[in-house]
Amino acid sequence: MSPSAPPVTYFEDVVVGSRHETPAMTVTQAHVNMYAGVTGDAAPEDGIAPPLLALGLSTGLGWRIARPPLVVLAFMGIDWKIERPLRVGDTVHSRSETKVKRAMRDAGVVIEEHELVDQHGDVLQHGRFTFLVAKQGGST
Amino acid sequence: MRLARPQFQMTPPARRYFEEIELGETYESPGRTVTETDIVLFAGVSGDYNVVHTDAELMKTSIFGERIAHGLLGLSIQSGLLTRWMTPYASLGIAGLRWKFKNPIKIGDTIRVRAEVTGKKDGPESDRGVVTLARTVLNQRGEVVQEGETDLMVERRPAS
Repeated sequence: MSPSAPPVTYFEDVVVGSRHETPAMTVTQAHVNMYAGVTGDAAPEDGIAPPLLALGLSTGLGWRIARPPLVVLAFMGIDWKIERPLRVGDTVHSRSETKVKRAMRDAGVVIEEHELVDQHGDVLQHGRFTFLVAKQGGST
Repeated sequence: MRLARPQFQMTPPARRYFEEIELGETYESPGRTVTETDIVLFAGVSGDYNVVHTDAELMKTSIFGERIAHGLLGLSIQSGLLTRWMTPYASLGIAGLRWKFKNPIKIGDTIRVRAEVTGKKDGPESDRGVVTLARTVLNQRGEVVQEGETDLMVERRPAS
């Protein structure tokens, strides 16, 4: 039996309009402490997670959808809004929808809309991620 | 020999209200060297194990030639760096950001951030305003690795 590469999603296989939802995760004081230690970006007040930690969790959760992982060559940009604080003990998941795909010579640009949602269904943060994604036929 | 009396700071550090912040003010942070440990720990905290951050062998064959830091690690580090270095705003937190990742941050790179106040406007409630900071993250060669704007919600001075 020959070994096969793990399944991935190339630019050609990205479908505009496709939606994904991640599993949920409970945010703990340990997340806040580790994040603050690694980055030096501290919590605004006790019991609240730093907003950029919430953004980081949103991208981390994004890898846990049913679709094989996108072959992301580079994260190009973010346009992001913070609507509500993420509190320690909240359980969040992420929803996304592919809005745009634009082919370039060796790769393609994919724009996704993401929402970070808490256990009550309230959107805490939302916005757009722009990725450079490899083409199956492209040279990288 | 007499020892100098230690100086205790009895009041909390000054916090600057919306009215006190002026358009055109600039800030510059100290540098910080981004290590392999930072990247491994950030993968653990965020759950982002994308191969570009975690597979050294695969990345040898990529255009970067090695693993690169998470863009969001750079974003978070610059936030921490600037907060450490400037007199804090009476901030109620970040309301939004528009951000571009221009160049990779590689293991061993030293980054710092420059910022300028480029906007001030009324907030959604009368007790606060929105301050926009344009930020540029530079590496040790002076190349721009990230840049963008952050909108911070800042308290107005309470009426006395």
